[in-house]
Amino acid sequence: MGSIVEPWAIAENGNANATAKGLSRELRHGRTAHNMSSSSLRKKSDLRLIQKVPCKTLKNILSNLQEVILGTKLTLLFLAIPLAILANSYHYARPLIFGLSLIGLTPLAERVSFLTEQLAFYTGPTVGGLLNATCGNATELIIAILALANNKVAVVKYSLLGSILSNLLLVLGTSLFFGGIANIRRQQRFDRKQADVNFFLLLMGLLCHLLPLLLKYAATGEASTSMINKMSLSLSRTSSIVMLVAYIAYLIFQLWTHRQFFEAQEDDDDDAYDDEVTVEETPVIGFWSGFAWLVGMTIVIALLSEYVVATIEDASDSWGLSVSFISIILLPIVGNAAEHAGAIIFAFKNKLDISLGVALGSATQISLFVVPLSVIVAWILGIKMDLNFNILETSSLALAIIITAFTLQDGTSHYMKGLVLLLCYVIIAACFFVDQIPQHQPNGIDVGLQPMNNLGEVFSA
Amino acid sequence: MAGIVTEPWSVAENGNASMTAKGSSRELRLGRTAHSMSSSSLRKKSDLRVIQKVPYKGLKDFLSNLQEVILGTKLAILFPAIPAAIICTYCGVSQPWIFGLSLLGLTPLAERVSFLTEQLAFYTGPTLGGLLNATCGNATELIIAILALTNNKVAVVKYSLLGSILSNLLLVLGTSLFCGGIANIRREQRFDRKQADVNFFLLLMGFLCHLLPLLVEYLANGKTSAAVLSDMQLSISRGFSIVMLISYIAYLVFQLWTHRQLFDAQDQEDEYDDDVEEETAVISFWSGFVWLVGMTLFIALLSEYVVATIEEASDKWNLSVSFISIILLPIVGNAAEHAGAVIFAFKNKLDISLGVALGSATQIGLFVVPLTIVVAWILGINMDLNFGLLETGCLAVSIIITAFTLQDGSSHYMKGLVLLLCYFIIAICFFVDKLPQKQNAIHLGHQAMNNVVTATGGGVFSS
Repeated sequence: MGSIVEPWAIAENGNANATAKGLSRELRHGRTAHNMSSSSLRKKSDLRLIQKVPCKTLKNILSNLQEVILGTKLTLLFLAIPLAILANSYHYARPLIFGLSLIGLTPLAERVSFLTEQLAFYTGPTVGGLLNATCGNATELIIAILALANNKVAVVKYSLLGSILSNLLLVLGTSLFFGGIANIRRQQRFDRKQADVNFFLLLMGLLCHLLPLLLKYAATGEASTSMINKMSLSLSRTSSIVMLVAYIAYLIFQLWTHRQFFEAQEDDDDDAYDDEVTVEETPVIGFWSGFAWLVGMTIVIALLSEYVVATIEDASDSWGLSVSFISIILLPIVGNAAEHAGAIIFAFKNKLDISLGVALGSATQISLFVVPLSVIVAWILGIKMDLNFNILETSSLALAIIITAFTLQDGTSHYMKGLVLLLCYVIIAACFFVDQIPQHQPNGIDVGLQPMNNLGEVFSA
Repeated sequence: MAGIVTEPWSVAENGNASMTAKGSSRELRLGRTAHSMSSSSLRKKSDLRVIQKVPYKGLKDFLSNLQEVILGTKLAILFPAIPAAIICTYCGVSQPWIFGLSLLGLTPLAERVSFLTEQLAFYTGPTLGGLLNATCGNATELIIAILALTNNKVAVVKYSLLGSILSNLLLVLGTSLFCGGIANIRREQRFDRKQADVNFFLLLMGFLCHLLPLLVEYLANGKTSAAVLSDMQLSISRGFSIVMLISYIAYLVFQLWTHRQLFDAQDQEDEYDDDVEEETAVISFWSGFVWLVGMTLFIALLSEYVVATIEEASDKWNLSVSFISIILLPIVGNAAEHAGAVIFAFKNKLDISLGVALGSATQIGLFVVPLTIVVAWILGINMDLNFGLLETGCLAVSIIITAFTLQDGSSHYMKGLVLLLCYFIIAICFFVDKLPQKQNAIHLGHQAMNNVVTATGGGVFSS
């Protein structure tokens, strides 16, 4: 465990990074905007209590524990995890299990991000960046794969779509709105090159969703539905491979050849901390303990996600909300809570590049990595998942991308932009709230499309 | 006949000396659009030494003319495909062979037509030369379209024109930006976005003209008969075509006369500044004209073969007609421009690459397509601007992605890669699309119209 020079305080100020020199600069490169924003939820460990414990190993274990479990402002929510497990063992009401699992997932997602950041100190900047890129949306990935394993293709599609929408409209909207209100007298600028890269990747992802949808509409009545589905499936699977190729190219672009686009801007504003801070960022836990914690937390996330996926229909019936609403709106809010808070905090400080990096980077990750990965995992498992997310969802996605791209294209921001994005999100949420169309649950490839409802029985996988 | 030959092709390949040409050369240069400059990168230096040995002057001139035109390109090896295709047709060789050979033969012909138009531009002056270039630049697509129309294969027309636009917007641009980005990975690559913007808003207007007839189809609510709807589609398509042609004429006025400075290739500082380069024609006006007419006839002949054999090739090779028309035909027709655009991107002269790709797309979108509709009108064939839902969706997304990608005036390899992958995805979509085709139907793949076709026994819609 290295020397602790209040790395979290440094991270919260967010500026010392810009003036970091030498080795610290190398280390900083492993920290993407994602990392930096989550670190705003860290809490300073109070080590005085631990120092009184006589036995050294016990002291180490306790300080490790304190670092990991108590090192976040979201610690209170950790209590929900044992409660959820208890509720499941004793067969309490299923909606209760659902709610408790959702609450328990929030701090876990944040801690996973913290642990990946700590590991990045040991693995170097490039691998650290890769680790971050892959684990950044661990919660969404795990929920998607578990839902697939339970053959709930609709839940997968909705939750992934909801994640993208949440990142593009909700996280970005609230950040820009609050940042705009807090900095109402200042000009807020950001570097649009980074945003642009994300947008054309998102547009490519949109193309991959649009084509199977149009194929289905163009072919209805022309060819038998089994042929249409086969075409849509092969198109989706091949497109997924192409999307993964694009994502790998994006990683090469971001972490290697054009790294300068993605580095946080140099801060010009006069800051009292400039001269004092010795920018040593060092990890607070050892590599192997970090690794062990990461594995452990991932297992707990998997457990809670299992509960969530299993109880989602009962919760939906009991609370009177459609499964689509829960998957598109509620699940992503929970999964993204930590990033969300971080993005708002950085927007308050007028560090829009980091907020944008978080929101847009997450959206790109999910759209070009988690979605095609899910399709490929489904392929391996023999489940027929395609990229056709149905017309309402695909249109929401298209408009969300276009509105956000257009709003951000001039490189400045004010609260009105944030407000509009936020209101768009509210409108889309309202749309899915009133959408009480009955679902053909597990085996339907398309849910909610009129001609296909008759064939739900045909396609039991 | 041959003028003073001071290696105009190497001048063109450097692409920069023309920037510093003075006086009359500047006038002549302005007749060369980005289109002709890029094709010139495929020229080859004629070796005139062998010809000099021939005693007769008339024969010598004739032979040097021949060498200039036939052998003056790196694609000359593909020329034998032309007689091969003709022989195969007369010997009754299987049709897919004829199709393949005709495609191969079209490639050098398209390039030579571009060369000849450029040569003629020296004689006709810059404005007329620019006009000639603008019209003949996509001669292959225009001829294929009109021939397919006369054979009443409206689907092939629509698909091949759409495929040309997609190929220019995504494939040519994507490979240029990608290769250029990799080659210039340490440099900042910039281009003037004003020129790109003009092309984009024209393409968007063209897209609107395609979208509205498509949406009319969805007005059907059981009370309106499908015949009324298709009449509506036809009349608005024809009206839109006239509007599109007017806007194209305005675009030519804008590009060649009033706002020429937007389209001139940027000035580059480099070591060729001091050399004065004289660009002159290498063949005379009348021989150029004769060659142009001859080559156009050959293009027409090979296009005739292509259009006639496309179904058999599609059956034999197990690819849908839509895939061949949208993907294969434009790749062949555009091969010369494509190579030129990539070469200029390597040299970090993105304005030229963009001018080629976007200019071609605009030409096809706003000139060839409406012209085809007007020709169909004259011939009494019912062709409208509704290209089908899937095709129009691909067009929309391509225009939007390309416009968005290019809007900040800089480029890197990632942009090119994304455009390229988008083209690849669209190609896969049409590859898996094995829908049965109804050849004479105006609309393909839409259920409402198919019922009409069968109900009226095809009488209304086949001329």
